[in-house]
Amino acid sequence: MTVTFQLNGEDCRFDGDPMTPLVDILRQERFLTGTKAVCREGFCGACTVHVDDEAVPSCLKPVGLVQGCAVTTIEGLSFGSQALHPLQANFEAVDAVQCGMCFPGMVMSLSAFVRDNPHASRPEIKAAMAGNICRCTGYERIVDAVADCLDQARKAGQLVGGIHV
Amino acid sequence: MAPSVERSFTAASTLEEAMAARRQGAAVLAGGTWMMRDPRRGVDLPEAVVALHRIPALSKVEIEPDHVVIGAAVTHAVLGRALHGAVGFEGLVAAAENAANPGIRKVATVGGNLCALDFAAADLAPALLVCEAAVELETFEGPKLLGISDFLKDRHALLAEAIVTRIHLRRDLVASAHIRLPLRKAGDYPVAIVSLAVDKDKRCRIAVGSVEPVARRWTALEQAMRAGPAYALDPERTAELALEHNDFQGRGGKEAEGWYRRQVLPPLVKRGVAALLKTGGLA
Ligand SMILES: Cc1cc2nc3c(=O)[nH]c(=O)nc-3n(C[C@H](O)[C@H](O)[C@H](O)COP(=O)(O)OP(=O)(O)OC[C@H]3O[C@@H](n4cnc5c(N)ncnc54)[C@H](O)[C@@H]3O)c2cc1C
Ligand code: FES
Ligand code: FES
Repeated sequence: MTVTFQLNGEDCRFDGDPMTPLVDILRQERFLTGTKAVCREGFCGACTVHVDDEAVPSCLKPVGLVQGCAVTTIEGLSFGSQALHPLQANFEAVDAVQCGMCFPGMVMSLSAFVRDNPHASRPEIKAAMAGNICRCTGYERIVDAVADCLDQARKAGQLVGGIHV
Repeated sequence: MAPSVERSFTAASTLEEAMAARRQGAAVLAGGTWMMRDPRRGVDLPEAVVALHRIPALSKVEIEPDHVVIGAAVTHAVLGRALHGAVGFEGLVAAAENAANPGIRKVATVGGNLCALDFAAADLAPALLVCEAAVELETFEGPKLLGISDFLKDRHALLAEAIVTRIHLRRDLVASAHIRLPLRKAGDYPVAIVSLAVDKDKRCRIAVGSVEPVARRWTALEQAMRAGPAYALDPERTAELALEHNDFQGRGGKEAEGWYRRQVLPPLVKRGVAALLKTGGLA
């Protein structure tokens, strides 16, 4: 079966089993290895991508269901020499990343969250991270970085509609 | 990646198209969050699937003054948003907003949650049991409407020739609550779930999920509460009754043993009644 969709803004065509998990196509056919396949069960969040702007696990997404959709991976969040997404910049600034395995998924989940929840509280940020497991950091620095990011956006007056890429 | 497989995949745009595929042997694919893990359970993915996400009638929540209709392809996230603030549906909203994790909730559907056979920890099952929901199916013989208890009991047989299309709810509740006990908060399955609701006649309905293989109403406790001297919702008293009338056979499982699932029920009931008492319609 042929499936066509937008991948990081470009046309993408896949010929094969429509039940192939999207993560495998991203990594093995498109070499977009930022998206990680860790648990393959929806629990860890390392494979999170945006499908039509929603942050979802790509390990449980059969490619047949993304026909006609827009898929964004961590590689598409800010291209090449473009400025990093404010969340990525903040993670870097506060040295939040350790081994980095969880971070592409973390950024994809949280970038959608800060976009939709510009006034999020600390408990709300934590609740939004329930599906992204990090084995290194203990989470607090990540939560700090997200809270800072929202603060900065508020101060810069980017409140309406939250933070955009 | 798996070697290329010739698999039939139909993205139906009408129920008729979906039923035609079903008659040809296609399995229903909703969000895929259960089915995509079949290979990890040692089960092959179906050779033919029919996806429901393009059928508009199955993807909407209709809220009327006296009833609500939920399409089977509505996701947990959409259900939680749609019913937020609707009096009497606090428990159902809590179930939709707290099951799994945010990414799964954006994908997993109401139909998938009720139709994942052998999944004991479905949050929506007890929440819909206390709503006394009716489940609408499209079968090879035509449409069929049945109570959720009967649906849950008979779903193995029923689903062999059917698609769940809609869930119908009456708006006869004044308050409800949904209490779940996961071991962590990282999206793991709840060890036990207690859903409670109070209807307009002040009758309390209680259902339990994840303790036995299939969620069910706790009729022994409901009757004991009704037999009390004067109807009064009291967390301590209800927990005592729950201890006395605990007729559950806890199932074993990865997250917890059966005795534990059974033993946590009275404290969960206590929390549930306390939550009910804080809910708009009763506070
Ligand atoms: C990480 C993780 C955590 C989870 N935690 C929870 C939790 O805390 N609580 C909870 O309740 N659930 C939990 N789940 C389970 C999840 O809710 C179910 O996987 C989900 O609801 C299934 O919905 P789906 O749309 O993805 O179904 P699918 O995977 O598409 O389908 C599931 C089954 O139902 C059948 N089916 C689907 N829709 C219909 C229909 N309309 N008519 C007939 N048959 C149909 C399919 O053929 C299939 O057999 C979790 C899942 C994951 C991955
Ligand atoms: S690999 Fe997809 S959630 Fe873990
Ligand atoms: S930084 Fe190592 S898993 Fe999160």
